[in-house]
Amino acid sequence: MTTGGPPLLRGTGLAKIYGNLVALDDTDFSVDPGEVRALIGSNGAGKSTLIKILTGAVMPTRGSVEISGEIAPLGDPSEMIRRGVACIYQHSNLAPAMSALDNIYLGRQPTRRFGFVDTRRQRLKAEELLAHHGIDIDLDARVGTLPTVKQKEVEILKALALDARVILMDEPTGWLAGADVVRLHDTIRMLKARGVGIVYISHVLDEIFAVCDTVTIMRDGRVVAESAVAEIDRPRLVHLMVGEKLARESADAALHQRRPRGTGAVRLSARGLGKSGVFADVSFDLHAGEIFCLTGLIGSRRTELVRTLFGSDRFDSGMLEIDGRRVAPRTPLDGMSLGIGFVPEDRHREGLMLDMNVTENLAMATLGRHCRGPFLSRSGMVRAGRKAIEDLSVQPRDGSKVVRLLSGGNQQKVLVGKWLSRSPRILILDEPTVGVDVGAKAEIYAILRREREQGAAILIVSSDLEEVMTVADRIGVMVSGRLAAVHDAGTAAMADIVREIGGGSA
Amino acid sequence: MRSASAALALFFAATILLFSLSAPRFASASTVENLMSGFSFVAILAMGQAFPILVRGIDLSIGAIVGLVGMIVFDLSLILHVPGYLILPLALFAGALAGALNGVLVVHLRLQPFIATLATLAAYRGLTYAISGRQLVPGLTTTPIRDPWLTGIETYFDVGRWLGLSRLVNMPWVPLSFVIMLAVFAVLQVLLTSTRFGRDIYATGGNHEAARLAGIRVNGVIITAYALAGLCAAIAALIMVARFTTATEALGAGMELTAIAAAVIGGVSLAGGVGAMFGPALGAFLLGAILIGLTLQGVPQFVQQIITGAILLAAVGYDRLLSVRRQRRLSAPSTAAT
Repeated sequence: MTTGGPPLLRGTGLAKIYGNLVALDDTDFSVDPGEVRALIGSNGAGKSTLIKILTGAVMPTRGSVEISGEIAPLGDPSEMIRRGVACIYQHSNLAPAMSALDNIYLGRQPTRRFGFVDTRRQRLKAEELLAHHGIDIDLDARVGTLPTVKQKEVEILKALALDARVILMDEPTGWLAGADVVRLHDTIRMLKARGVGIVYISHVLDEIFAVCDTVTIMRDGRVVAESAVAEIDRPRLVHLMVGEKLARESADAALHQRRPRGTGAVRLSARGLGKSGVFADVSFDLHAGEIFCLTGLIGSRRTELVRTLFGSDRFDSGMLEIDGRRVAPRTPLDGMSLGIGFVPEDRHREGLMLDMNVTENLAMATLGRHCRGPFLSRSGMVRAGRKAIEDLSVQPRDGSKVVRLLSGGNQQKVLVGKWLSRSPRILILDEPTVGVDVGAKAEIYAILRREREQGAAILIVSSDLEEVMTVADRIGVMVSGRLAAVHDAGTAAMADIVREIGGGSA
Repeated sequence: MRSASAALALFFAATILLFSLSAPRFASASTVENLMSGFSFVAILAMGQAFPILVRGIDLSIGAIVGLVGMIVFDLSLILHVPGYLILPLALFAGALAGALNGVLVVHLRLQPFIATLATLAAYRGLTYAISGRQLVPGLTTTPIRDPWLTGIETYFDVGRWLGLSRLVNMPWVPLSFVIMLAVFAVLQVLLTSTRFGRDIYATGGNHEAARLAGIRVNGVIITAYALAGLCAAIAALIMVARFTTATEALGAGMELTAIAAAVIGGVSLAGGVGAMFGPALGAFLLGAILIGLTLQGVPQFVQQIITGAILLAAVGYDRLLSVRRQRRLSAPSTAAT
C-alpha cells in the first residue's frame, strides 16, 4: 500500500472559514497510490469542504496541497484536473442536454488543429473505456434522458477518462441500488490495483468495511482519528463519528426524555401515501408530544414526502388524516390552515428573506395578526419579534438586524421562530441543523423539545444520525421512496439503523 | 434537437403553403427576393443572439450595437474618408468589442445579463447620438455613402440565368446579403458543433458549475459568446448601411426583440445549453414570411405586431414546458429497488 515515496495527494494545515463558521480547522489529509481511504463524519463535519479544497472548487483560508510531493496551485479546478485529481460529486455534475459522450469528455475533448473536436478519436477512446470497465452506456443518448444510475456511471466514466491518479468520491452510492454498488466496488478495486488513490466518502459503514483500506474520521471540522479499516470495529467508528460526549448525552437523553410510542393523540396519520415515480406506500402516525425523525440517504425522497404533507407538492395516492379528518392540502396555505408549520431544507432559497430584518422575517407567517384593516401594525410586529428573539435567544438580540448578516445557527433559529409564532399543532422541519454549529444545534434541539412538551407533533427530516439519535422519540428510515422501518429511539441500535439506511435488510 | 428542427421546417413549409393559397401574389419570385433581402440580416442577428442565450444569458443591446456600428461606418467613410477595405474590419472589430464589453459586465461585475445589456443598450444608443456625423456635420445628412467596398454588399446575383432556369420560370435574384448569411451560418454551425469551443458553450449553458469544475474557462466562454453576438450585429449593420447608403441614429432600434424571437422560435432554449444555428436562421425567415404574408393580405401593421408577440409567447411557453420536462427527468429517482 505504502510505497515509501511521497503520498499521491497530501493536504497540510487546511482550513476554511466562512464568516463566523469554521468549516474546516487545520486539517492534514493524505492518500497513497493504490490506497482506498474512507472519509467519514456526520453532516457539517467538514468532509465536503475538504473535498472541494482538494479539487480546487473552493479556495482554502489556510494550508497547502501537494501532489506527488509537488505543491499544487489552490482554488483552480482545471489545474487540479491537469494534475490528475478527479471528483465524483454527490449532486449531478452533468450537462443534461449534451450526449453521454460529450459529458464524459466535458472540457477536454480530444482536438485536431484549430480546436476542431476529433469526434472519431473521442468515440474510440470512450468505447475502449466502456469495454475495459464493462460498463454499458448509449454514448449518443442525451444525459437528461438516462436513468439516474446510468447518469452516475457517466460521472464515473468522466473521472476514468481523465486517467486520474486520485479519484475523490462524495457519496457515490447515494443514488445506486445494491447490485450497482457491488459493481462500483469492483471498479474501485480494479482502479486500486492500477495504483490509483481513492477517497471514498460514505455514510454507509458496510461499504467502508467492504472496500476501504484506511479510514479518516472527521468531526466538527477536524480529523479526530485515522486508522486502518482492519484495526477498527463498527461501534468504535460510530463513537468516533458522533463524539464521546454527544454519544453519552444522547444515551442519557434516551433514558430520561424520550417518550414511549403513542402516548399522545394521533395528530397526523398517513396511509399508503404515494406520488408516482417519487415515493410509494408510506404509512405512519405522528402523535402529539413526540418527535419523529425521518432519516435516510440523500435522494431517498424524504423531502418530497414531507412537502406533500404541507401542501407545497401533492401526493397522488393514499390517504392523509389530520386530527382524524381526511385532508388533501393542495397549497402551503391549506397546510397552514390545518395547523402545519414547515421549515424547509434550504433556508436561503426557500425559508428566509435574507435582506429583510429579523423582526420582519419572524412576522412573515403571521402578518394577518399584525394588521389593522389593510395596514400593518409595526409596533405589534416589533413586540412579537422582541419576545421571539428572547425565547429563541437569537444573537444579537436586535430585531432590526438584516438576516443575511446572522450566523447560520441564528438564521435557522429565526426560521424556526417564524413558524413557532403560529403555534403550529404539527411542525415539520427538513434538515433543521445543516450548516449550523454545535452550540446553536443544542439550542435548536432545546427549542424543539420545549415545543414537544407543550404538545406539538414534530416531524424532522434529517440525514445526520447524531441528530436523529439525540432528538428523536421515534425514528423512521426511508430507502428509495419507501418507509423501510420505524423504531423506538430508546431501543434502536445505531448500527441497525445505519444498515437499514444503506438498504440492508432490517 | 434534430426533430425540433424538422418540426420548425415543417411549420415553415406549412406557413408558406398557407399564404400561397390565401395571400395574393405571395407565391412569387418577388416575395422570395423580399424575404432574402429583408431578413438575411435578421437571421444573422438571430444566430448571434443564440450565443448569449446558449450560455444562459441574453443580449438586449444588439440593436444598439447595429446603430453604433452603422454610425461608425458613416463617420469613417463620409467624414474621415477612410477607404472601405479598412472600414470593414474596423466595423467588425467595433461590434465584437461592444459585445465583449457586455460579456465582461456579466462575468466580472456579476450583473444579470438582462440588466447589463439593458444598460449598454441605452449607453450604446447614446454613444451613437454623441458620435453622429449627422449632428457634427449637418451638411452630410443627404450625402450617400458611395465607397464601392461598402455599397458592394448590396449586390444581387441573377442565379436563375446562370442556371438557365429563367427561361422556364421567373427566378428571384439572390442578394449578396443572403450569401453572407449562409457563410455566417456555415462558420458558426461548424464552430458550435465541431470544435472544443462549441462543446464548452453547451457545457457552460447546460451546467455552469459542472463546466467550471471540468476545468472549462467559463468566464472566457461567456465573454466570447457575447463578442460573437456583437460581431453578428456588426455584420448586420454593414448590410443595412449598404442598403440605405447611409446610417441614422435609430438604425437597428427594436431589432433585439426580433432576433430573440427568431432564436427562441428556432429552438434555442432560454434555460441555456440547447439549440443550434439552423433554428434561429429559419426562425428569422419564418417571422419574415409571416410579416410579408400578412402585409400582402392587407393586415394592418399593429395587428402584425400583436401576431408577432403571440408567436413569441407561444415559442417561449413551449420552451419553458420542454425545459421543465428535462429538469424533471434529470432529478427522477432510481427505480431499481435494493
